[in-house]
Amino acid sequence: MSGPGVTAPARPVDLSVRLGDLELANPVMPASGCFGPELAELVPVHRLGAVVTKTVFAQARPGNRAHRLGESAHGMLNSVGIPSRGVHGFARTDLPAYQRLGAPVIVSVGGLSEGEYWRVTEELAGTEHAAIEVNVSCPNLERGGVTLGSDVGAVRRVVAGVVARTDVPVLVKLSPDLATIDAAARAAQEAGAAAVTVCNSFPGLAVAPETRRATLGNGTGGLSGPAIKPLALRLVWQAAQAVTIPVVGCGGIATAHDVAEFLVAGASAVQIGTATFARPFVMTEIVRELPALAARLGVTRLTDLVGTLSF
Amino acid sequence: MTLQPLERTDEDRPAPAWCHAEVLVNRPLTERYHHLRLAAPDVAAAARAGQFVMLTAGRDGSGPVLPRPMAVYTRDAAAGVVDVLYAVVGQGTRALAGFAPGERMVVVGPLGRGFAIHPETDRVLVVGRGIGTCSLTCVAQDLAPGPVELHAVTSGRDPGSVIGAEVFREHGAASVRAVHDTDGSSDVAVLRARLCGELDGGPPQQILTCGSERLARLCAELGERWGASVQVSVEAHMACGLGYCHGCSTGGPTGPEESPLVCRDGPVFWLSLP
Repeated sequence: MSGPGVTAPARPVDLSVRLGDLELANPVMPASGCFGPELAELVPVHRLGAVVTKTVFAQARPGNRAHRLGESAHGMLNSVGIPSRGVHGFARTDLPAYQRLGAPVIVSVGGLSEGEYWRVTEELAGTEHAAIEVNVSCPNLERGGVTLGSDVGAVRRVVAGVVARTDVPVLVKLSPDLATIDAAARAAQEAGAAAVTVCNSFPGLAVAPETRRATLGNGTGGLSGPAIKPLALRLVWQAAQAVTIPVVGCGGIATAHDVAEFLVAGASAVQIGTATFARPFVMTEIVRELPALAARLGVTRLTDLVGTLSF
Repeated sequence: MTLQPLERTDEDRPAPAWCHAEVLVNRPLTERYHHLRLAAPDVAAAARAGQFVMLTAGRDGSGPVLPRPMAVYTRDAAAGVVDVLYAVVGQGTRALAGFAPGERMVVVGPLGRGFAIHPETDRVLVVGRGIGTCSLTCVAQDLAPGPVELHAVTSGRDPGSVIGAEVFREHGAASVRAVHDTDGSSDVAVLRARLCGELDGGPPQQILTCGSERLARLCAELGERWGASVQVSVEAHMACGLGYCHGCSTGGPTGPEESPLVCRDGPVFWLSLP
């Protein structure tokens, strides 16, 4: 007898995915900033498709002042401000700890100017890493602090410069702070990106009317968690229409079913962030659950779900 | 007042783990506080005084997205249980109060680096206020049955907000002062006079405090008066509890280096007057 929910998967399900020249055993990886080698104290992170580092800058940065975290309905707001040891400290101290985790390491690269992204990439050239993810959601201090990723021309120049300075595949994590994601995604593709990650946290604000102050030390912050999932899904779907390179979906994913939603909308792989805080095992649990979910959805290769959305 | 991380070794921080802990008890303890008892044998066996756990109050994709850091109030390694007290003040603690005995809760711990009692110390003063007293009660568990002499102050807004006195007494504290705002006994000047009167003749070498900035300042002053070192446990909004999210920085950027993180470098720090 056969039918939905009755049979066990007859054939093993293929979870592997390619992002350009980057081959992953499965599509699940952490979102930059929501992961560190510390998580290996709790869960077998070597089972992840890849790990993604916190964003690395050229110089050491202290991050923003407290408070850095807040919670809103179905989401969290953060203004951590990406503290970094700087690229030399990162290469000496942080990168070896990521390398010991046993999964491909994707290094997230940031910059407060276009040239800083290139300098960080050059400094990383001698180190061992599987890919670079360019975080274009940093404030561009040469343009009055406006998000670099909201400027399509800047995205194109930054990505082209990074691609020219590295041998590894380059992912570009796009900002949602855009009139339309299509142009930025296309700019990344034309500049040589292997994939685009869609998307980063959404700019947000929390206010305490009693004190007339913003609750975050930095004023504004980034909204993440289940609250942004429908927004991210739409952006993934739009970006996937706009480019031929793979899209990595990110935004509010907390279950294997969420992963399937992003794949159907056009993502080839996913990143998980906020969900890990409340359930540290969520990423490895999803990896374990994906074969059964794929079988239930009637595919033997997970990639067969990618971009199958119809209206 | 300034915070400095304690000198630490890896042994100060037992490896944390996560578990689906069964809720054994979850009911009001006083007018203000709830008592949560969890079956969490690994945490009960490993937790050091001043360490904390992260409790996930969200369930089935609803409720708070961030777990809540809570001090381990008491632990019983033989029974495999951990006690936590909390005040129902917001979305997270309201969700925590909704767990019924028999349900399971995601718990991560033990986390952070707790209080350090030095081998040469023979007298300790602990000063807690409100829910902050929960960080200090495990110290009493660890010091019983001596030879270190423990003096405890537990302070609160009203008698229903004063917690921990019975834990301190049960574990042989030499003195327990339960003070509150309603009768003025918690007033800092009153408390200073009482503590000086009673301990000037035989002062503690260490003072441990949690829960109030005013009391922390008093502890720092008393520390200078007595030549005692002062450790304070501080709280912060947290997301990961392990250090990777960098959400719980203790203050503002003072240079290119990040300020200490409450979860990784604390929650217990050296406290001194500037």
